[in-house]
Amino acid sequence: MPRSQRPSTESMANVLRVLPARWAITIIAVLIAYVLLQPRLNAWFGWQLPSIPAMLGQETPKTKNTPASKQAAPKQADAKKQADATASQSQSSTTEKPKSSSGSFKYGILKSLGRDRYESPAGLVYGPGSEEGHRLQHIERHLQDDPTRPGSHGVFQGTMEQFLIAIDDTYRRARGHAKGTRTRNEEAETIYEAPFDESIGYLGGSSGRGQKNPPLKQMRVVVRGKNLITAFPIP
Amino acid sequence: MALPYLIYVRTCPICKEGLCRVRVCTVSHHLVGCVVCDECESVWTDPDMETRSIEKDDTYTASCPECGLSLWDEACHWADIQEVCLLGWYDKVKVART
Repeated sequence: MPRSQRPSTESMANVLRVLPARWAITIIAVLIAYVLLQPRLNAWFGWQLPSIPAMLGQETPKTKNTPASKQAAPKQADAKKQADATASQSQSSTTEKPKSSSGSFKYGILKSLGRDRYESPAGLVYGPGSEEGHRLQHIERHLQDDPTRPGSHGVFQGTMEQFLIAIDDTYRRARGHAKGTRTRNEEAETIYEAPFDESIGYLGGSSGRGQKNPPLKQMRVVVRGKNLITAFPIP
Repeated sequence: MALPYLIYVRTCPICKEGLCRVRVCTVSHHLVGCVVCDECESVWTDPDMETRSIEKDDTYTASCPECGLSLWDEACHWADIQEVCLLGWYDKVKVART
């Protein structure tokens, strides 16, 4: 038994010693009845009566999982697992409109910096630019195939949120020189690449169609400073 | 207006995914052409792609090598075949149906 729980047990024994015998028997009988009835009362009436071990600090009271706890914002440390999990997601490439349902966080993870600029947990900045008008709209092109496009077109299989998490994960691991990652510096850009344990998408475009859309297990992220320019899955 | 074909020089040597396409700026009294990657927005001043044009400001948006205007401004567009010919670049490009 943990040392911290001895005082409460000992103090209870001391209390029983000083009480008259019939009081002690009554208290013990009530305790036994409570132990037997507590789970049933909770089940029947939906109460949250704590068990005796919980009251003595030997067990944490059971609490229902609230939706809020399930929807907690993903921590950076979990980014890899979540990004990998996207590989087993459905085949649909869902493009979702930017939303701010999680407070002021766009797509659940991007913090607003003002002037239509957003920062990811890893520090990547998504701002206005590109032919589409915004980098977020630009990378959204990689959530679906463009079969008539000459050459290759990496397609990420998952939602925009999952794509952003995978991009962040690539950036964070490559900057940390994690195993299997690559970094290339051009005149103005830095290009990061990182492998994933499972497929994160497939090769699209006319080149991908010619190869029967093989699965892709790497991500390439192009940045200028901390500003994301583009990102897409690669062979 | 979207063209029924796509004019490009080659796959981008920077991001290795985008297509380096001919973009024209019509702000000046003459046609200004450049080559822009439609994925990473790298810009070159000629179809041989020997000279890169890198914007100096912090907008990180592809800009016209001559006037500095954003290449995504209304005054700029992807070149059609006639404009590519006017620039004298037709023998440097590929044309793909879309």
